[in-house]
Amino acid sequence: MKKQLVIVLLLFVLSLSVVVSAQEVPVLGGTFRYGTTVNPRGMFNPILYTETYDGYVIDVVYDGLIEIDANLQPQPKVAKAWEVSEDGLEITFYLHEGIRFHDGVELTAEDVAYTYMTILHPDYTGVRFGTFNMLVGAQEYKDGTQATVPGIEIIDDYTIKFSTNRPHAPLLSSFGYGILPAHLLAHIPVGELETAEFNLHPIGSGPFKFVEFLTDQHVTFEANEEYFFGRPNIDTLVYQKVSQDTIPIFLQQNRIDFIEISPDQFLQVSDLGHIDTYIYEALSYSYIAFNLRQERFDDVAVRQAITYGFDRQLYVDLIREGFGIVANAPMPTASWAYTSEGIDPYHYDPKKAAEMLSEAGWTPGSDGILQKDGERLEFEFLVPDGSRLTEQMALLFQQNMEDIGIKVNLMFMEFSAAVDRVDAREFDTFTMSWSLAVDPDPYSIWHSTSLWNDPGFYNEASDRLIEQGRLETDLEKRKEIYADWQRVINYELPSMFLNYGVAIGAINERVKGIDADPGPYGPLVGRQLLWKIWLAD
Amino acid sequence: MWRYIIRRIFLQGIPVLLGFTFLLYLIITVAPGSPVTHLRGVPDLDTAVIAQREAQLGIDQPFLIQYGRWLGQILRLDLGLSFDSARRPVIDLIGERMPATIILSLSSIILGWGIGIPVGILSARYQYSVFDYIITFFAFVGISIPSFFFGLVLLYMFALTWNVLPAGGFFMAGEPHTFVGYIRYLLLPVLTLGLGSIASVARYMRSSLLEVLNEDYLRTARAKGLRENIVVYKHALRNALLPILTLMGFMLPTIFSGAVIVENIFTWPGLGSLAIQALNERNYPVIMGINLMFAVLIFLGSIIADVSYAFADPRIRYE
Repeated sequence: MKKQLVIVLLLFVLSLSVVVSAQEVPVLGGTFRYGTTVNPRGMFNPILYTETYDGYVIDVVYDGLIEIDANLQPQPKVAKAWEVSEDGLEITFYLHEGIRFHDGVELTAEDVAYTYMTILHPDYTGVRFGTFNMLVGAQEYKDGTQATVPGIEIIDDYTIKFSTNRPHAPLLSSFGYGILPAHLLAHIPVGELETAEFNLHPIGSGPFKFVEFLTDQHVTFEANEEYFFGRPNIDTLVYQKVSQDTIPIFLQQNRIDFIEISPDQFLQVSDLGHIDTYIYEALSYSYIAFNLRQERFDDVAVRQAITYGFDRQLYVDLIREGFGIVANAPMPTASWAYTSEGIDPYHYDPKKAAEMLSEAGWTPGSDGILQKDGERLEFEFLVPDGSRLTEQMALLFQQNMEDIGIKVNLMFMEFSAAVDRVDAREFDTFTMSWSLAVDPDPYSIWHSTSLWNDPGFYNEASDRLIEQGRLETDLEKRKEIYADWQRVINYELPSMFLNYGVAIGAINERVKGIDADPGPYGPLVGRQLLWKIWLAD
Repeated sequence: MWRYIIRRIFLQGIPVLLGFTFLLYLIITVAPGSPVTHLRGVPDLDTAVIAQREAQLGIDQPFLIQYGRWLGQILRLDLGLSFDSARRPVIDLIGERMPATIILSLSSIILGWGIGIPVGILSARYQYSVFDYIITFFAFVGISIPSFFFGLVLLYMFALTWNVLPAGGFFMAGEPHTFVGYIRYLLLPVLTLGLGSIASVARYMRSSLLEVLNEDYLRTARAKGLRENIVVYKHALRNALLPILTLMGFMLPTIFSGAVIVENIFTWPGLGSLAIQALNERNYPVIMGINLMFAVLIFLGSIIADVSYAFADPRIRYE
């Protein structure tokens, strides 16, 4: 009896301790090391940077009007709320009062206006004008015919209104750019902003204060004690550079707490006892582009047959070791606009491929290669080198094509040289991949007038849907438009889509407060969770 | 002597450097690929923005004008601004990384020569002994193993398996810079980089000394009753060192280029990753800056080697 009581008591104590540890009260302090394989360049200015890793620094030093959450939807940040007018032409942001830059000066609508006006300035050297050129008066201001931008209007210290010439659905999610301190920069001519000392010693209103940038070693930050949204739990944040080869050892030696790893490192890293790995769908896809300016590729049957003839599932399973999802349209599964409804999966079917080619008039020649009107179905496949996965994919593609009577000549080329050929449109087919922005708007890559429409794709329905998608501000209706658009592309196949990207995050188990069911931005939601995580040791 | 050095610099060095930079600039501008490739995929980008960028960088101009502008900057001791988005001065980019590369290269030179020369001497002194065979064997192994492979093996053993040395990098943020710390971080990369030079210096030293040992004047020295140690270390060695000095001048660039690979494996914050990145991105000013600097260093190295002949060999005088 007594013994039983002891056991019951013991169980009670045990369950109590479980409850206590499950509560997980954040611990203050400690240093979190975020691993990166490429070092930043030192352009820590939100409106001028173009390199991803400069963006990492900017993410924690600055705050934008909004931030993008794990579901890719805009959420309030510096702006506590916003209002979109009935006609979709005006967005009014209401700012929090009392947000301060790291030097103690308050952030107001003045700073927001400065940040966005600079992007539109005639002397601006960055690349973001196109994102905001639909603001009223933006083009006139850029051309120098007008001295102000009526589309950016300061209502009072904490209210700012942006108005556009036409509704532009992707605009809202573009307001995440870090807000610059006008009082430190407004005196610098916009043309000289690029070489300003400020860019190396950034001051923003974000959760971390910039401390030190040591070339090819690390960038260090300290917690912003006065952060408007609450002090970060960790004291120090470090972006630590790691060579690709030594990532697993750095993780093992606890020299980094988090890093994104590649599929071929997954096994080695998941063997480390104290490291957790998270696999999540990324906003990217890879493809093989056809040059539609060539007659043979202008025939949709040929493009579909080639797609049927390539065992993309084998490529994902075998070469990518399962890290990837076979793609059939250029809209990643991670995007809210993704649909599988009415999408042809083009399962591997060499017989069907051969039949389709035969119906399209291609007959085997004496050497077994298909030909039509004296032209052999033989083409060059441009493959940027440097990635083992891509090179193996190219070999598999070549082999699969040979099986259906198509001769593929592989052309491995250094990336920049390959881009040269693509830009000059001197290619038959090539493979590359796209990383996409938060908003699913496919205009920049797939509209017939766009710079990055490398295949030379023109389709009336596609162009119309892309344009509609930009004008429609209702999320559900926009989803419908993009679903229709995916079905058009899925049929037309201006490129063969290979796979949607899958990313892997490796994180030390001592790190708490992460997103354990990560969306496309991973367990730290980009770098947004860095100010909320804590270290359990 | 000074007249000789000045003549070497002005009559030989400057024309050679001019020709070198001209050729290099020609090659990198003719090669496919463009410095604005990184703009690929920027949403809603206008061709006008790309053109504007090209004009800012000056790459819209013909080759001769581009080179002329670059040369004009160099004459004003200005290496220009990097082409990447941060537009930092090239001199800063190189200056920040130079110390790490110099520490690594110098340490491995000291290691290579400090061990290679005595080992080579002993190997020649006791030719065909067991010691000689062992050294010969390891020298060939050392020359044959590629440094990236040797580096990974070292990492696997010392960092992953035994966990006694850091897996590369330099001091962690907040870590105090101590002497022991320097040794710990330097050890593996220096060993990796130094291994090849230990081996080749030892081989060169051995054969050079063996050649001298068969000379008539050493037979004379032995004939007059000198002890073998005095014959070797006093009479032969000084003569045998002459070709090794030339070798030093030649090996300097090899050490630097080897450092590029080793730096990459060990996350060493030297010039290596900058050089590779600049090449991939067609960052002309950075490629030119790094190469110019190496060219000057190699040129100075060859002058130093020639001048040091005069000290080693009393028959050589520069007038």
